[in-house]
Amino acid sequence: MAPPPAPPQKSPSPSQPSGKSEVSDLKLQLRQLAGSRAPGADDSKRDLFKRVISYMTVGIDVSAAFSEMVMCSATSDIVLKKMCYLYVGNYARCHPDLALLTINFLQKDCHDEDPMIRGLALRSLCSLRVPNLVEYLVAPLGAGLKDGSSYVRMVAAVGVLKLYHISAATCLDSDFPAVLKSLMLTDPDAQVVANCLFVLQEIWNLEANKSEEASRERETLLSKKIVYYILNRIKEFNEWAQCLVLELVAKYIPSDTDDIFDIMNLLEDRLQHANGAVVLATIKVFLHLTMSMTDVHQQVYERIKAPLLTLVGSGSSEQSYAVLSHLHLLVMRAPMLFSSDYKHFYCQFSDPSYVKKLKLEMLTAIANESNTYEIVTELCEYAGNVDVPIARESIRAVGKIALQQYDVNAIVDRLLQFLEMEKDYVTAETLVLVKDLLRKYPQWSHDCIAVVGNISSKNVQEPKAKAALIWMLGEYSQDMPDAPYILESLIENWDEENAAEVRLHLLTAAMKCFFKRPPETQKALGAALAAGLADSHQDVHDRALFYYRLLQYDVSVAERVVNPPKQAVSVFADTQSSEIKDRIFDEFNSLSVVYQKPSYMFTDKEHREPFEFSEEIGNLSLGQEPVGNSPRYDESDKDLLLSTSEREENGGPSTNGPAASGYSAPTDYNSSLVSLSSQTQSETAISDPGMPKYTSQMTLAIDDLLGLSVSAAPAPPSLKLNPKAALDPGTFQRKWGQLAVSISQDCSVSPQGIAALTTPQALIRHMQASSIQCIASGGQSPNFKFFFFAQKLDGPPLFFLVECIVNTSSAKAQVKIKADDATASEAFFGLFQSALSKFGVL
Amino acid sequence: MLQCIFFLSDSGEVMLEKQMTGHRVDRSICAWFWDYVLSQGGDPSKILPVIASPTHYLFQLFRDGIIFLACTQVEMPPLMGIEFLCRVADVLTDYLGGLNEDLIKDNFIIVYELLDEMMDNGFPLTTEPNILREMITPPNIVSKMLSVVTGKNSNVSTRLPDATASCIPWRKTNMKHASNEVYVNLVEEIDAVFSRDGALVKCEIYGEVQVDSHLPGLPDLTLSFSNPSILNDMRFHPCVRFRPWESDQILSFVPPDGEFKLMTYRVKKLKSTPIYVKPQLTSDTGNCHINVLVGVRNDPGKTIDSITVQFQLPFCVASANLTSNHGTVNILADKTCSWSIGQIPKDKSPSLSGNLVLETGLDRLHVFPVFQVGFKIMGVALSGLQIHKLDIKNAPSQPYKGFRALTQAGEYEVRS
Repeated sequence: MAPPPAPPQKSPSPSQPSGKSEVSDLKLQLRQLAGSRAPGADDSKRDLFKRVISYMTVGIDVSAAFSEMVMCSATSDIVLKKMCYLYVGNYARCHPDLALLTINFLQKDCHDEDPMIRGLALRSLCSLRVPNLVEYLVAPLGAGLKDGSSYVRMVAAVGVLKLYHISAATCLDSDFPAVLKSLMLTDPDAQVVANCLFVLQEIWNLEANKSEEASRERETLLSKKIVYYILNRIKEFNEWAQCLVLELVAKYIPSDTDDIFDIMNLLEDRLQHANGAVVLATIKVFLHLTMSMTDVHQQVYERIKAPLLTLVGSGSSEQSYAVLSHLHLLVMRAPMLFSSDYKHFYCQFSDPSYVKKLKLEMLTAIANESNTYEIVTELCEYAGNVDVPIARESIRAVGKIALQQYDVNAIVDRLLQFLEMEKDYVTAETLVLVKDLLRKYPQWSHDCIAVVGNISSKNVQEPKAKAALIWMLGEYSQDMPDAPYILESLIENWDEENAAEVRLHLLTAAMKCFFKRPPETQKALGAALAAGLADSHQDVHDRALFYYRLLQYDVSVAERVVNPPKQAVSVFADTQSSEIKDRIFDEFNSLSVVYQKPSYMFTDKEHREPFEFSEEIGNLSLGQEPVGNSPRYDESDKDLLLSTSEREENGGPSTNGPAASGYSAPTDYNSSLVSLSSQTQSETAISDPGMPKYTSQMTLAIDDLLGLSVSAAPAPPSLKLNPKAALDPGTFQRKWGQLAVSISQDCSVSPQGIAALTTPQALIRHMQASSIQCIASGGQSPNFKFFFFAQKLDGPPLFFLVECIVNTSSAKAQVKIKADDATASEAFFGLFQSALSKFGVL
Repeated sequence: MLQCIFFLSDSGEVMLEKQMTGHRVDRSICAWFWDYVLSQGGDPSKILPVIASPTHYLFQLFRDGIIFLACTQVEMPPLMGIEFLCRVADVLTDYLGGLNEDLIKDNFIIVYELLDEMMDNGFPLTTEPNILREMITPPNIVSKMLSVVTGKNSNVSTRLPDATASCIPWRKTNMKHASNEVYVNLVEEIDAVFSRDGALVKCEIYGEVQVDSHLPGLPDLTLSFSNPSILNDMRFHPCVRFRPWESDQILSFVPPDGEFKLMTYRVKKLKSTPIYVKPQLTSDTGNCHINVLVGVRNDPGKTIDSITVQFQLPFCVASANLTSNHGTVNILADKTCSWSIGQIPKDKSPSLSGNLVLETGLDRLHVFPVFQVGFKIMGVALSGLQIHKLDIKNAPSQPYKGFRALTQAGEYEVRS
């Protein structure tokens, strides 16, 4: 166990010098040396400094010696200086008054003739982080940015960011961002450029919420000119700076396909960089650039395969872990991609188990008709592995593959062989799997039951496995001669059974068995019900009571309830929805991938990236051509929803409750429009707090549920639209970013409409007839997404902007309207809805 | 961006702390981390590299008994964090001539200095060892001697490296050398997995082209192979020019000074393996008889050296009695059994045999060990990769060129 690293000045561990006396001793010695010009002084100082710092490193508070340290700091020895800087940087924050003492010598060092000392001094000066000393920073920083040595400029650039974090106002007032920007575009040293870029990005990101100008500046960082300038120099940058640049490029919105290909050609060799971080960042750029070009996107997958597999194989296991997480994500989207490279994911004996686990997941994910046999053979090898958790995982993986329907025949045989291995954990895992398999493939019951019947229930201890065995005993009691007797003996040991899950299953199995073989089971059932009624566990008690009363009421009804004819389960509920996966994909090359959660689920709100809509909408294909798979579309509205709900959390106390719940469960609302609760939830999350629409939407939603078509009573179309409305994508994007959502609603689409919506273009043409133009569209069945706009015919040019997501499987359309004139949006919604309802009918 | 880096010993003690940004990270995070390690079984090498604590996201890397722990609160590319920690570990190993608790504690000033140059405000700067070495002199014996002799023991060079100003970041602009030589080493690792019945499940070679260059001036090198088509998944040092490789499979580069990894590659789908290991386990009423045979399968043409066979005895084995007709057998405390053979003698094939007594109640062995094989073959690159020639332009005089090759076992496993 670690010695508690808590404040050691209170409780220093016995092995370390006990604080006080040592420190005062040091103080004394330092004081003696302070003025000394003796020849050996520097050496003795160095020893003392070293001791001070080593105390500091262990966690002893040596801040008491601050003034002595500063007194000794007048030296030309660079190591002494460095130690002193380190010390000062560590304690200046808690002793702001003493920190003032250091300013003098640091400022003096900033003018030293050695660039190394100038740089170090400037770095330490900025690292003091004492708010009331900010005024002393500006001049040295300004000089540093103009310094002749690139080392000093590099330090100064980062210094600006440190200044910004201490006092944003001082930093902006001194106009440092502008200086950095010009430095970024002109400096000959790549590291200086990279640091400027890093600092500017951070500053503008934080400022963007506060000022218009800053968000414009942030966009200029993404302009073609700057991105190209930096890209052209990318080879001069060191690997980390390259990562930074690639992150920037991933956000860049290319103007046309030539642009995309230029960038990809330029970056292609980065895929073979020795640094994995660079490779992954490049892959992110490639994937994001080609998102709207289905063919090229596929080619990109092919292209990135080799570098990714290389990264998995070489490097440390920590690196392979991070890469495998990304591969797992890719495989979810393109399972075919790695199907022939399955051997790369075979586990090595020496892999740590976290890597093995991911590899098993990969093997499960890429299994298909062509490779199932080999993969399952390999997985079966691991079942005898020395590492028990991995052995379990691999059995589970075999089961998962079986449930994916490939080559079930062979797999069932394998699983049954596991049962014959007579290893308790193997048996346990296998039983659970056999149960799941039987639920999906009842036709295998005969073979399985023959083997399962031979297992002694005494060898099965794990609750899950026991429950599975009991389930099978109940379900197939007619095929297992011993079933009633096994159940009976289990019921006799009722009190020794700790897991409620097992007892629940025991009750149900006894019931099932009773209906199939009444005379043999009657006694056991009676005992089970009696034991169940006396059980202290609420669920067990209730179930026993329920069965008891059901039997009392009518045995044949009870049979229908407990033992209905079963249908094979076709799909087991997936644990992770596809929206979440899409969302994570959007955050490729980030921690989200490793955690397998989108960042909004785990990062603090204060650290979340400011919402960037402009960027997301920019990735829609502009114009009216239909596009293939563009999962980003789901993302942009997720962001929208997220940001509005967040706003509400802060601002709207009236809707606080539902909005908060909408926020905490963001996965629900898009997927299940069926349930009323989630619908109202999503509506409150979307609706603007300023609009009193809450109740009316609530009733609409209820109407909708009752089957009343909302479009039956649209608002009188007093509004006329301009049939020749025109809006360029840039303006649309800007407006969309600025305006608030005035209406957000679901409406239904007629079945004919759904049938006609094979391509997005069908709807686009239809809406054009009603003077509603499409500016961007995309998606694949069952989800299509459209951005429409329309212009009011007379009066000033007022625009309506619409985002419409049509889900063909639920025959619903989610409509969000933003308008220049929010009062007219109700009327426009009427028009839009009636136009939509006519789609496919004519 | 990384906010803080901690170095922990393998008993969870904080050895060093380096704050990177204004957001100070309290040391209590280390206590949380260590509790987490203990809750996961206490072995730091088995902990996930990326963990979420209640307050921070942690990257951790375990190397040679030292835990490198980095904290962040913002979203960042995970590989960047991990790669950076790997580099820190590599650079420190390089500087201190190894990595352990004592070395770090003795040289913490250097560690601080290095971290200072490697990262500023949470953003990685220079991790190129050649450049760092010019800014901060490593504490090697020569400099220690020098400091004793001259009485000056500053380990910081008084001037900035030229490289930070040159447009080739990995090389000084003006290098003067007494020696004029360059060595190219092919180092290959063969990864192979054999199934129970001796069939080859997977066989690949991972190779590195290592260059050790001591050349004056700004030399321009081109290295070509006779059979570059066998190579897959190449990764290059930043100094390699991409175009010549794309068009003609020629490595053209201006080398950094000293040792570096020019290129890594992979050769897939190999069919021939140098060594076979045939384990046989037969169980019989609480006993298991084990017999392992080792021999040469495809003669590589050179001696196979330092052959070892290692395997983990299943946990259900109560005791083991193993003997071999060649080499030595050791059973370690954690039930790892290692058999070092050395070279295969001419007259007999080495074999290991013995008896495993199973725990009472077990009739036969259910869990079978994996045999990990180690060996070394000097003077041959098993993938068959051959260097065609090495040209040096821009050199004042023709330097000495040396070539070497080495193949060793990587993950060479035989299942039983």
